[in-house]
Amino acid sequence: MIEHDIPEQSLVLEVVIGFLYPFMLLLGFFIILNGHHTPGGGFQGGSVLAALFIARYVVYPVHDVNSEKMHMFQRIFIALILLTPMVFLFTGFIHRFPEYRSLYLLVMNVLIGFQVGMEIGVAILRFAFFQGVGKTWRL
Amino acid sequence: MRFLLSALLITAVFIIVTLISQVHFEQQQPILFEYIVRNYEEDCGTTNAVTAILLNYRMYDTMFEVLILLTAIIGMKQFLPAPHELKDDTPVKKRTASHD
Repeated sequence: MIEHDIPEQSLVLEVVIGFLYPFMLLLGFFIILNGHHTPGGGFQGGSVLAALFIARYVVYPVHDVNSEKMHMFQRIFIALILLTPMVFLFTGFIHRFPEYRSLYLLVMNVLIGFQVGMEIGVAILRFAFFQGVGKTWRL
Repeated sequence: MRFLLSALLITAVFIIVTLISQVHFEQQQPILFEYIVRNYEEDCGTTNAVTAILLNYRMYDTMFEVLILLTAIIGMKQFLPAPHELKDDTPVKKRTASHD
């Protein structure tokens, strides 16, 4: 997209979201990584990470997220999410070695968090740019 | 008349199902609840019972929940156009005016 297509944004929004952006990132990772000791987990932290996409869209409404590459990452993550419990939980691995129970929960929370964050972010951007910037579908 | 009959049928089915669940009341004892509340820390090594249930006792549920999300994304990629498939029809003046 050409540079002058971007409508002018509010300076207040830019400054406030630029200030809040690292804290939202920190909150998302905190919720994901502490999911097995505090209220939270993969789905909740992933939703907070998806809010980063919304904040970025509010300030800078340009679709430069490569959704094909994101979709490739989503496929890798769904394979890992399906494979990790098959290898470690259903075979009884973490019942024979109980010291790996917390590590298993942490890994699953991180995988689910990234997956949910990418999926909701891509969905929101796709819907936002579907009718948002004065364009029509080429039939 | 047909609507009345179907309404009566639905009401009857609802009442029967409710009564059946009352008849088998002894099967509704919270056995699993008590087991999980007592044993989740030893089983899963976590202090959060929700995480223990989501990622250990009901792992199938979580796996296919994530799969449902991915299915939704795949359907959206199929039926919504990508930005490079969009064609610019609106003139620039109108578009900038609409954003003001």
